[in-house]
Formats: sequence, structure tokens, C-alpha cells
Amino acid sequence: MTGPVGGYAFEFRGVTKRFKHTVALDRVDLAVPAGAVVGLIGRNGSGKSTLLRHVVGLYLPSEGACVTLGQAAAALDAGTLARIGVVQQEADFIPWMRVGQQLRYLSSFYDRWDRVLEDRLVRDLELDRTARIGTLPPGNLQKLALVLAFCHHPDLVLLDEPVSALDPLAREAMLRFLLEVARTDGPTLVVSSHVLRDVERVVDRVICLEQGRVTEHAELDELLERWAEWKVTAHHGTLPQHLPEPWVVQQEGAGREARLLVRDAAGELQAFRSAYRAEVEVRPVTLERLFPRLIGRP
Amino acid sequence: MLIRVDHHSGVPVYRQLVEQVRFHVASGLLAPGEEMPSTRSLSAELALNPMTVSKAYALLEREGLLERRPGLPLVVSALSTRERDAERRARLSDQLRASATMARQLGIGPAEALRLFRALLGEQERERR
Repeated sequence: MTGPVGGYAFEFRGVTKRFKHTVALDRVDLAVPAGAVVGLIGRNGSGKSTLLRHVVGLYLPSEGACVTLGQAAAALDAGTLARIGVVQQEADFIPWMRVGQQLRYLSSFYDRWDRVLEDRLVRDLELDRTARIGTLPPGNLQKLALVLAFCHHPDLVLLDEPVSALDPLAREAMLRFLLEVARTDGPTLVVSSHVLRDVERVVDRVICLEQGRVTEHAELDELLERWAEWKVTAHHGTLPQHLPEPWVVQQEGAGREARLLVRDAAGELQAFRSAYRAEVEVRPVTLERLFPRLIGRP
Repeated sequence: MLIRVDHHSGVPVYRQLVEQVRFHVASGLLAPGEEMPSTRSLSAELALNPMTVSKAYALLEREGLLERRPGLPLVVSALSTRERDAERRARLSDQLRASATMARQLGIGPAEALRLFRALLGEQERERR
């Protein structure tokens, strides 16, 4: 099991990363609890991959510090690295090897390698052990990367867009597998994605990135409960163009009917109803609809 | 126990579980003393994060609908007739509240709305016979 100091799988303290004139990460402070299943969401180029690379020490911060499984990420020892699994966006395998050879080769680095799990995953994901790596389509490379990331029962797994190259069936198999791992081994999982619908199903926590900044870090349930959509009907047409209530984040329509995006407003419902003599239908909001808000956009 | 989860509705999944268990308790489909599936097996069956199931169970326990006994599966609490009636009425009210809002939005008055509701009840009654 994970036993990092303070119960965190990894921590970022004031991490900034610059590449020449670009700021890829901008004063990132993060503490991800051990055992969490985290969705790292953001648009392309928002810094997701850069952030994940810092966790394993592949990139070093220009400023600040990363601590992973209780160790400085810049100097992880072999024992700690063996507790981490990584699926990178562009997998880097040895092209002339066959799938089976690659598995044997990489598994030899790990004491905790689980052959039974390997066999099952190879079967479930329909991988051919005799196929040459160099001839594999991107989807199968991604599957191979997944097998390699999980068969040593890691305590921390970082998955960078793990389902982007998979077809819907393989995607489903993959998501089911992630849920099963979360149920059995209980490692910390970080799944980066720009496809919110995939993430929503597996994660219990969300980190939003935009232009290298963390714009939101919260439990998914809490997030969904904090926000709501109100469909408002005021029979006397009393709804102003811009409602002054500070918890109204977005407004479409005025006069008789409006649609509002509200935040932390459950306690305001009664007062609002009587103030505007309005009917209010409260509806839940999906992560997809919230996303622009969570990265600070209109 | 029939539970369905919609991952893209915007309603937190643990809330969906709580609502559906409540409904089954109110309708009597879950009888007092009946054992609930373990967190592990229900999360496996519905392909959910186990944390989601334990969160739902904890809430139902706090509300007094489920009971935990040390080392044993959670069971459905024995509600008094009065408690169960209250629970049933609360479930129906939740549903009707939305209909009441819609009636007002459509400008359908109380008498007309009630007439419609009665007609619908009668229609289903006839279908059941």
C-alpha cells in the first residue's frame, strides 16, 4: 500500500516550469491524497503532460518542488520508481521486439510482476503476443502501455490520455479495468483527458488545468452539488437583464424566462422565488457544461 | 435489487444510489431486515468506484434507512408504519413538485391539474385490471 508522509501520493509546492519563453506550469500547488482516483482535465496544451512528467522526475521544476510517494521527485530511487506505473501519450517501445518479448523484457525489472494479471489483460484487451511492436496500430500500443503500467501492482499510476487512441469497445474494457483496480489494489490513479465523459465515470476527484495554472481541485461530487442550473419563470416578467445576485454565474434570457447557472445557491431558493415571484426548476449540471467555468472561461 | 446509474446526468452517483434505495424502501421492494449487497459487490456490479457506494451507504445509515451491525452486512431498518408512510409521501411529493411547477408554467390552474391527475390515476387503474 502507499505510505507517503502526510497521506499524499504526490505534492507540488509552488511549481513553475519555463521552457524558454513559455510558462508551462505556473505556481502549481497541489496535494493529491493517496488512494484517490483523479481526473486531470484541461484542453490540449494546458500543461497536463508537463505536470505528470514532473511527478516522476522526467521534468524538473524551474521553481518550487515536487514530492512523490514521500520522496523528492527529482531523485526517486529504484525502489520508489518500481511502485509507479506510467502510460505516456506516445509510448516508446522497442520496434523490432514482439509484444511477448517486450513484456518479458520489461517485467524483468519488477519484483512484484504479476503473470496472471498480465495474461488476463493481454486476453481482455485482445493483444497478440506474436505481433511486432513496429507494426502495431496506435490503439494496440496504448493497450500494451496499459498492461506494462499495471502488472507490477503499482501504488501510483499516471495515465496520460490513456483511452485517446482506443475504439469504443476497448475504451469500455479499459475503463472497467481501471475501476476494478481502484476496487482491489486501491492505488492512486491520475487520468489525464480532454474527453470529460470518459473521466466522469471513474474519478472521485478533479483537477482542472488552464495555461499551466490549476484553476480547480475538488471532489467530483462536491463540485456537482455546488453548481446547478435554474430554469426560472417569472409570471410578471420581473427578471432583469443582469440579476444582481452574486451567486448567479451566468444568465441567459430575462423578463419572463431565464436560465441561470448558479453556484452555492441552494439556500437562496426561497428568497429568490418570492423576490421575483418566480417558479424555479432546479436542474443538475454536468461536468461537461461546467468545464469552461472551471477553467475560468465564460 | 434493481439500481441504475447515469454517469452523465450531472447528479452525483452516490445521490442516485441514495434516491433509488430510498424509493425501494418506501415501495417495500426492500423489506425490513433484508441484507444489502456489500460495498465491494455492489460497486463491482455497477462498475463504480467503491468510495461512491460507501458514501451512499453512510448517508442512508445516517438517515436511519439502513442499519449497520458489527461484522455483518448492512440491513434495511424496520420502519414504523408511520415512518414508512411519511417516506412514501415524501417520494411522491418530490415527483409532484416538479409537475406543480410545470402546471404553473403552462398556466394550468389547480382544478384543471387535479382533474388531469385523477384521470391519469384512473387510466392506470383500468389498465391494471
